[in-house]
Amino acid sequence: MTNMNEVASKPGFGTSPHESGVDLGQVPAKMTVRDLNFHYGEFHALKSIAMDVPEKKVTAIIGPSGCGKSTLLRIFNRIYAIYPSLRASGEIVLDGENILDPKYSLNRLRSKVGMVFQKPVPFPMTIFENVAYGIRHHEKLNRTDMEGRVEQALRGAALWDEVKDKLKQSALGLSGGQQQRLCIARGIALKPEVLLLDEPTSALDPIATSRIEQLVEELKSQFTIVIVTHNMQQAARCSDMTAFMYMGELIEFDRTEKIFTKPNKKQTEDYITGRFG
Amino acid sequence: MNTPHQHIIKSYDDELKRLTGEIVKMGELAVAQLEAAIDVVQRRDERAAQRVVDNDEAIDALEQEISQDVVRLLALRAPIAGDLRNVFAALRIAADIERIGDYAANVAKRSIPLSRVAPIAVVGGLANLAELAIEELRDVLKAYHEQDAEAAYEVWKADARLDEEYTLVFRALLTYMMEDPRNITPCTHLLFMAKNIERIGDHATNIAENVWFVVNGEPLVAPRVKKDTTANPEF
Amino acid sequence: MSASLYTTRRIKNVLAMILSVAATGIGLLFLAWILWETLSQGIAGLKPALFTKITAYREEGGLANAMVGSLILNVIGILIATPIGVMAGTWLAEYSRRSRLGPTIRFLNDILLSAPSIVLGLFVYTIIVLPSQWLTNGDVTFSGIAGGIALALIALPVIVRTTDEMLRLVPGTLREAALSLGVPQWKLTVQILIRAARSGIVTGVLLALARISGETAPLLLTAFGNNFMTFNPLDKMPSLPQVIYDYTKDPSPDINTLAWAGAFVLTMFVLALSLVARFVFSRSKVSHD
Repeated sequence: MTNMNEVASKPGFGTSPHESGVDLGQVPAKMTVRDLNFHYGEFHALKSIAMDVPEKKVTAIIGPSGCGKSTLLRIFNRIYAIYPSLRASGEIVLDGENILDPKYSLNRLRSKVGMVFQKPVPFPMTIFENVAYGIRHHEKLNRTDMEGRVEQALRGAALWDEVKDKLKQSALGLSGGQQQRLCIARGIALKPEVLLLDEPTSALDPIATSRIEQLVEELKSQFTIVIVTHNMQQAARCSDMTAFMYMGELIEFDRTEKIFTKPNKKQTEDYITGRFG
Repeated sequence: MNTPHQHIIKSYDDELKRLTGEIVKMGELAVAQLEAAIDVVQRRDERAAQRVVDNDEAIDALEQEISQDVVRLLALRAPIAGDLRNVFAALRIAADIERIGDYAANVAKRSIPLSRVAPIAVVGGLANLAELAIEELRDVLKAYHEQDAEAAYEVWKADARLDEEYTLVFRALLTYMMEDPRNITPCTHLLFMAKNIERIGDHATNIAENVWFVVNGEPLVAPRVKKDTTANPEF
Repeated sequence: MSASLYTTRRIKNVLAMILSVAATGIGLLFLAWILWETLSQGIAGLKPALFTKITAYREEGGLANAMVGSLILNVIGILIATPIGVMAGTWLAEYSRRSRLGPTIRFLNDILLSAPSIVLGLFVYTIIVLPSQWLTNGDVTFSGIAGGIALALIALPVIVRTTDEMLRLVPGTLREAALSLGVPQWKLTVQILIRAARSGIVTGVLLALARISGETAPLLLTAFGNNFMTFNPLDKMPSLPQVIYDYTKDPSPDINTLAWAGAFVLTMFVLALSLVARFVFSRSKVSHD
């Protein structure tokens, strides 16, 4: 039992809580989004989004269905461009260059920004070929080098030990969780700088989900990761920064710890605590 | 803070409400115990004193219940943000109230040996002290119930008065003991009782800090005025 | 009263069941009947000579030249229809997304799919058989090639349709996954999508083959028929369905029996093709769920 006087003189008592925790203001931004607007035909899907995605950190984007979180992710590698009548305006600066500039080569963008999707989508080929496929498109490697790269990618995705004896088998025979890690291996095999994960565990069971989350934890030392998730606990567990989006707007973007303990906006609090908005 | 919306899952709201209700009930019980304790000191009623000591079990039982509710809420609802602060603070406030109950029982227990010696005038000072503590406790429970951080802050500041009062009682008791060594036994009991009541005030400020934390999401930050000077070397 | 509600429902359920079983039974009955009829009528004609002798020997002969002719005609038809059909189907599924031409062509293809085969035969007769008389100084120009082309026109819409359907069944995320690796559209199409839809496309081709192997009408005006064995696609060419057609009209019962035997062989061939198609499709069916 402590005396009140001791409590009063305890060091730290009375200091501002904002000084505790990691200060992400110190981390350089890998991607800077400025005044980003997006239209599906007439529908204004993203409204003037601005955010700094910190380098080699995990940034989670949460929000209800249709809030534009996946859309935002799909602009980061311009995959949206394969569909007609979608328009993005504004700036997304990656390493000093605006990737929305039509002159920015898609090949270059996609080798720098990898993406993993909601459902595991292995190509209808062997496990080895799945990983080698993307590398082959961007680089000419001899057999040994290619084997090395594939192994490295599979190890990076924590899949090597499970598949090393069946690299020549079809990837479609793997379990859902393994397929998803294969897709991550396929993504990191290109040595991207940014890795986009679009609800990567929504089709997986809890064990496979934990494996992916552990993987995200390991991968963030090498990659800048942006993850879109419906699962708020997942955002809380594996991200450093969290963005809350609602109806196409970025409502709040802050340290994950802050968002999940004391969000600034009532809309954020209502959403994460499961209240009527 | 504007009133939060209802949870989409209604039973979650019910459980949180139940938790708050238990805290308030526990607090009211502690206030009643303290009132009864100071009453038996003044009335020198041994049997009533024993009843107060026995009643402390009810507060302990409530604390157990609250702990279980908190664990269940954490496990099943995984509360976050405001809800998490609420649940977390409930656990801490319950612990504070449990200690307050212990102190009240302690005061009642010491009244038994005290009632067997001649009455001492300082008992009046003790009653003043208890009155301040009860007021503080009532106010902080109200602030908790209404989630009123400003009211909690007022309680937190008001504890200085209790400390001042305690210093006065302390001085008075010292004087009594110096005057007549036969006073030493009852005055020591009274000293402990006064200290217990002063500690109740400290727990009330803890509760105030928790209310502040629930509402504002950050610790209570303000310069602390120290009015309990009995531990200073120059005293 | 819930009890009576349940009883009514049960009665309705039983009635619906009886009707469905009866309908299935009728369908199966006719199928069994057809198989039984072809087998029982043709069994007398199922002798080695059927496969070794040609139609020129009439009652003493077999259907060897017709079978070989059919095989050549079908192979020509499939060889022409498959590349065109697969490519057209790929264009429809993968490249026509941004244009209005796609749905139009898909609609026209469906019309071709249901066009009467005699019309297609007549078409080939008009644009190939007749004009080529100009090259042969008026000699008859019915040929295996012309027959093959007519069959190709029948197979083509089937293959276009199945390729289109199968490619559209490949989940969009597979395309996105490949494109997000920076792979260009053509590589994606050839190396991933066609591969993913491969078994479906092969099945389509096999079903098209089954469809054209039973065609008679377009061959009357194009391949014409031939009582002798020929391997020359520029020659008039016999075919199994056409011989069956001719032999059925014949007054001689022995010739009729040969027609039944031919019908039986043809039925078995088509049945076997369907089974192979099924097997191919079920074995390597790609699932992305």
